[in-house]
Amino acid sequence: MGDSQYSFSLTTFSPSGKLVQIEHALTAVGSGQTSLGIKAANGVVIATEKKLPSILVDETSVQKIQILTPNIGVVYSGMGPDSRVLVRKSRKQAEQYNRLYKEAIPVTQLVRETAAVMQEFTQSGGVRPFGVSLLVAGYDDKGPQLYQVDPSGSYFSWKASAMGKNVSNAKTFLEKRYTDDMELDDAVHTAILTLKEGFEGQISGKNIEIGIIGADKQFRVLTPAEIEDYLQEVE
Amino acid sequence: MSRGSGGGYDRHITIFSPEGRLFQVEYAFKAVKAAGVTSIGVRGKDSVCVVTQKKVPDKLLDPSSITHLFAVTKYLGLVATGTTADARTLVQQARNEAAEFRHKYGYEMPADTLARWIADKSQVYTQHAYMRPLGVVAMVLGIDDEVGPQLFKCDPAGHFFGHKATSAGLKEQEAINFLEKKMKNDPAFTYEETVQTAISALQSVLQEDLKATEIEVGVVVKGNPIFRALSTDEIDEHLTAISERD
Repeated sequence: MGDSQYSFSLTTFSPSGKLVQIEHALTAVGSGQTSLGIKAANGVVIATEKKLPSILVDETSVQKIQILTPNIGVVYSGMGPDSRVLVRKSRKQAEQYNRLYKEAIPVTQLVRETAAVMQEFTQSGGVRPFGVSLLVAGYDDKGPQLYQVDPSGSYFSWKASAMGKNVSNAKTFLEKRYTDDMELDDAVHTAILTLKEGFEGQISGKNIEIGIIGADKQFRVLTPAEIEDYLQEVE
Repeated sequence: MSRGSGGGYDRHITIFSPEGRLFQVEYAFKAVKAAGVTSIGVRGKDSVCVVTQKKVPDKLLDPSSITHLFAVTKYLGLVATGTTADARTLVQQARNEAAEFRHKYGYEMPADTLARWIADKSQVYTQHAYMRPLGVVAMVLGIDDEVGPQLFKCDPAGHFFGHKATSAGLKEQEAINFLEKKMKNDPAFTYEETVQTAISALQSVLQEDLKATEIEVGVVVKGNPIFRALSTDEIDEHLTAISERD
């Protein structure tokens, strides 16, 4: 991985030891739409705002939350086109693991490989870092898991996390509301309330997306109708 | 302490600026506007129509060699708004990709798949320094077997969305405002309404009555999903219908 004319890295150290391109990438993430994830005792929920540039856009053609394997889903904050690249690479890595070992890839391993790709783009020649942070939600033999991966390629496991525009308010809200013994349904309600905190305009099933995975280990994205039901319960 | 503007290169290649922006991508959007042409696309109940300006800058030019409307396959149309040279490259690659798809998978490439492919290629140019982003916004139209008429727009940043109606180019924002009003209550336009909405949107934002030789119109219709460009006579019929209606 290195582009022919550019055999030198574009991300280089500043005199103070910082990798400024990565910092700028994080700024790009911070100006993206808010997204968050919550790990419950029996599952994980991830959610995001889905604000489209115009009412002329067909919202059924857009899905921000993507499925990587039947039991792992992902949401991003930041640059949409960059996230598509990572989703494609992750899906391929998961499938290659499956082909080799004849079993589903553990969540930690998929996260590690995705993070490695993101790190490559901070060091390889002629490329810039990805302008996205990812929240990966999965359920495997180790139980429900939530990981956040940043443009630098560093990743951590979280009980609950948020990214994007409203990150500080959202995290404060989550810190107050999170309990270790939360059930998945409670987590979905909390996720909705957290999104509502910083939401400009009227929240509805059409301008947010929610993905859940429970003990059945099947990741799925909720339909707008299902989101409306949860919204009414929250009222 | 953060160094500043990336050594001044953030305006020359696609690396991040301190605010987390990609200046080269933003400049590519400006190049699309600089071409001075506006295009409009409208999706109806069972048809899709695209209209684009046909500006012939010199009387000595052969007008038939100037076009922004391209057939990628028999069934998929593409309107490329922006730098002509970049548009030709994009169309050439898209045609190749669509043909390979048909050969490899045994069925016609759907509009959304082509749009995604174009968008993914554009994203690569925003991340790799060796190629600049293309100064083109592409609108892809076709009739999908399962979901019906489709209109997608792909931009230099690598975004792509499905649209009920959209616009690109110099008067993009004015056209979108016009179309938002028309499409507010999710109307299900017939073929004639679709074409006339698209043409009258262009007339409205350019604030002049158009002649049939000054615009290009492309359509796909459900019953006969072949992409075709309307002839000057057919365009004239629609223009007459619009002026009689008003």
